[in-house]
Parts: sequence; C-alpha cells; structure tokens
Amino acid sequence: MLTLESVTKRFGGLTAVRAVSLEVRRGDLLGIIGPNGAGKTTLFNVIAGYYRPEEGRIVFEGRDVTGLPAHAISRLGLTRTFQIVKPFGNLSVADNVMIGALTRLQRVRDARVEAERVIALCGLGPHAAARARALPIGLRKRLEVARALATRPRLLLLDEVMAGLNPSELTGIIDLVRRVHAEGVTLIVIEHVMAAMMRLAQRIVMLHHGEKIAEGTPQEIAHDRRVIDAYLGDEFNLAEA
Amino acid sequence: MSRLPLDRWVAIVLFAAAGLTPLVVRDVFILDSVILILLWGALSAAWNVAGGYAGQVSLGHAAFFGIGTYAAALMSARGQNPWLGLAIGIGLSVGAGAMIGYLSNRLKGPYFALSTIAFAEVLKIVASRWRGFTAGSEGVPVPFRPGFATLGLGHVAWVYLILAAALLAYGLQVYLERSRVGYQLAGVREDEDAAEALGIATRRRKVQAIVASAALTSLGGSLWAQYVGFVDPSHVFSIDLSVRFALNSIIGGMGTALGPFLGSVLITTLETYLRATFSGAKAGFTGIYLIIYGVVLILIVRFAPEGVTGIAARWRTRRDRAHA
Repeated sequence: MLTLESVTKRFGGLTAVRAVSLEVRRGDLLGIIGPNGAGKTTLFNVIAGYYRPEEGRIVFEGRDVTGLPAHAISRLGLTRTFQIVKPFGNLSVADNVMIGALTRLQRVRDARVEAERVIALCGLGPHAAARARALPIGLRKRLEVARALATRPRLLLLDEVMAGLNPSELTGIIDLVRRVHAEGVTLIVIEHVMAAMMRLAQRIVMLHHGEKIAEGTPQEIAHDRRVIDAYLGDEFNLAEA
Repeated sequence: MSRLPLDRWVAIVLFAAAGLTPLVVRDVFILDSVILILLWGALSAAWNVAGGYAGQVSLGHAAFFGIGTYAAALMSARGQNPWLGLAIGIGLSVGAGAMIGYLSNRLKGPYFALSTIAFAEVLKIVASRWRGFTAGSEGVPVPFRPGFATLGLGHVAWVYLILAAALLAYGLQVYLERSRVGYQLAGVREDEDAAEALGIATRRRKVQAIVASAALTSLGGSLWAQYVGFVDPSHVFSIDLSVRFALNSIIGGMGTALGPFLGSVLITTLETYLRATFSGAKAGFTGIYLIIYGVVLILIVRFAPEGVTGIAARWRTRRDRAHA
C-alpha cells in the first residue's frame, strides 16, 4: 500500500531522516518508536507531503507521490494528525469534522450527516456544538482523529495521539484507534507510550538519529539489543505492559 | 421563517430601511448618507471576503478600489461607457488580486498586510506620475452625463444601485457561511497545515478569496467614482481608505456577513455627523472625527475584539446558559 524507498530528508547540514525504507501493507497497524529527535515526525511530514525528500521515492497505492503537495496526497486517501494538535479553534467540533468530510463530499448537507457519524464513532457526540479551542486536550486529540477520519482515508498517520493523556483518556483513545483499524483503515502510529504500543501494533519500526535501526513484532522489538540501548533503556517486560 | 437568526433579521431591516428611505425623504443630505453607508459597507464586505472569511488581512485594498475608480473615470472622461470601464476595472483587479495573492502566498499575518500596503503605494505612484494617461496628481473629473448607461444618476437612483451592490456583497458573504468553499476557507483561516491535511488546496483557495474580494472592491470603486465625480490618486489609493475597509469589518465583526455593514453604519454616521457639526467657523475641528475614530477602535479592540456582532453573540450565549 505504501512503500518508502531509501527516503532522505535533510535540513541544511542535519539529516533528519536517512535512507529509510519501509513497506506498509493494507490492513497493517504499524508503530514507529524512537527517542526525541529521531525523525519520527519528520518522516510523517515527508510521507504526507509537508516536506519534499532530498532523496528516495514514496509510492502510495502504486502511485509515485514524492513531492506532491499535502492536499493532493490527502485526496488520494493518505492523511495525518498533528502531534501538536491543530484544531480549527474558533469553529465548533461539528464544523471541524464537517470540513474534513467535505474533502470527499460536495454537498454541505451530506458532509454534515457524515460528520455526525464520525463524531459519534469518536465519542465526541456530547461536544459537537462546543468550540474546538474550549475542549480539554484529551478531546482535542480525539478531534484530530475524527477530522482526519472524516476524509475517509485508506492510510492514516497518527502522530502521538496518546501523549499527555491521563489513564482513562488513554484507554478511550486506544479503544478508538482499534475501532478505526477495525473499520479497515491502515494505520501508522507514532507513540512514546510503550505499553500502548506493545498492545496495539502488529509491527514496530524503531528510528534513531533518522535511521531505521530495527523492525519487527512487538516481542522482537522489546528484546532487540539496539532498541534497548537506544530507547527502552531496559528490557521491556511484555507481561507488565 | 422564525428560525432565521437574529443577524439576518437585522440585515433585512437595514437593507429594507435603506430601500424605503427615498420613498419617504428626498433630502439630499440624508440620501447621500444612506448611499455612503451602503457603499462603505459593501466595500468593507468585499474586504471581509478576504480578510474575515479567508484570514488574509489586507491593508492595501485601496489598490483595487483605485483601479476601479480610474477604470470608470478614465472611460467616462474619454466619452466612453463607464460600465465598460467598470468591467475593465474588475478584469484588472482580478489580475492584480491573483498576482498579489500568488506572490504573497507564503506571507502570513502582518507580513501579508505589509506587502498589500506596498502594492497600493506602488499603484498610487504610478497613477500620480503617469500624467499622459491618468492626468497625474491633478486627478480626473468625471463628466456628468445623465442616464443609466452613462451612470449619471440622481440620488434616488444611486440609492438603489448601491443597494444592489451592497446586496451582492452581502449575498457573497452569506454564501461563504454556508457553502463548501466557505467552510474550506474557514479551515484555511484557522490553520493552513490542518486544512492541507484535509485535502484543501490552501494556496488556490486563498487566491480565489483575494480575487473575489478584489473584483468586488473594484466594482465599488467604479461606482464611487461615478457617484462622487472626481478621482485623484492620493485619495483613491490611500492607506486611509484601506484602513477604513478593514476597520468597518473589525468594528462590526470580522468574518460575519452583517459586521461590515454594522461597522459602516456606526463609522459613516459618526463621521458624517461630526463633519456636519464641525463645519464652517469650527472647521478646524473637522479632524476630531479621526480622534473619535481612534478611541472607538481602541475600545472595540480592548473590550469587544470580535466586534459588535461578537458582543451580540456573547449576550445570546449568556442568555441561553441562563435558560438552560
């Protein structure tokens, strides 16, 4: 579904993403982990069309999308959420999600109906009329997901939708990610919450200094020497997770 | 139609009152006031399309206004049809709007505003210096040739013509509040990165908004030139005018259809009243309206940053909460 062929992104002298190759198949739930500054978000920015890579090729569903603008890639069915949430602050939750739905739908009335469905799916029903900027962070993270979902993506990049949430919010959003995946959306998830990642992801890719240093099932990753040295610090106990 | 929101009702009352005025009074001073309120309201609404709805706050809209005034005035002065001039003005403004929209696309907030100021200033210099074509800083008198085709109209006819322009501008804004394009523009205004992620071609949408805004502003400029009968570069391309377009919207409520017209009612009335009061012997005080203008602006920005319509909305929310 998505293939990255040796993708490199540099900022001046700094190589943020170095020759990363990746293969995502339809129905995957791929996790990306790595310490701060490892290039995870940059990788998302490159895939989603916010940065143009200096080298390499990105192919989405058989189409070379390298260098296409973000809106064009989104229209092809590949969209993302933002780590630092970017709600349309002065608009209601319903309008936020509806603008997402307008990506596929031409008529405002249809988009309104679709938005209601997505809002219910994401558990935002009671807040539909609230101004987006008035929501607490847990709900704003949900809104990010809802708005992206409303565009009916086939591949969705989730950038730390769990960061900064309390345990009950966390359970809720993990549940939501599962539901989205069950609906048939292929997911790539960046997350620091290892416990959640271990439970959610089918495969995990570890980035370090912009390079892919490991890839495998959660079990393989948890016992990978390089991952432990660079990131986990200690062998991650799956039983505890 | 009881479900119609309050601001729509206020607009209906406002436009109806303007339309009925000529049937009741024939006083030229009052008709002139109505015409100017509608015209400055329509021009501010045109500004609002870019500034309020799309978030492209320009302080150079006098550029498009000036293009419209010159296009109509020069055609009239050469014995040609001013309507043709009006159309040419719109064409030129669409080009100019597309250009500035495209060139300034990466500039945000104050930087965008500065680039638009520069654009208007350049046009002012061109109009002042290109004597062979524009008559330079002496300006262009518009000959009064009676008739609708030559846009030589009486005050009553002007009320209705300007009312039509105002309704056009109001209608465009209402469209932006209800349509797909309008919602996408709101997304662009609120956050461009997020809008891109939702498949919105932010650059194209911004240019479209600026172009529509420029076309409407030019139209207003052409009508103004024919109504007032004189065009000079230091006025029609002035930053004062650009600020006025922005200010009416800011005071009335940016990004609302009614806001620019409410702002115009307040500001134009205030200005007309003060000018009339401090004329003749007290003419030295004419400038006082600028001071009051400034004070009103400070008060609005400090206490009601969302403008008059924002205050109304806040009251309503409070009332609804009290009922709940």
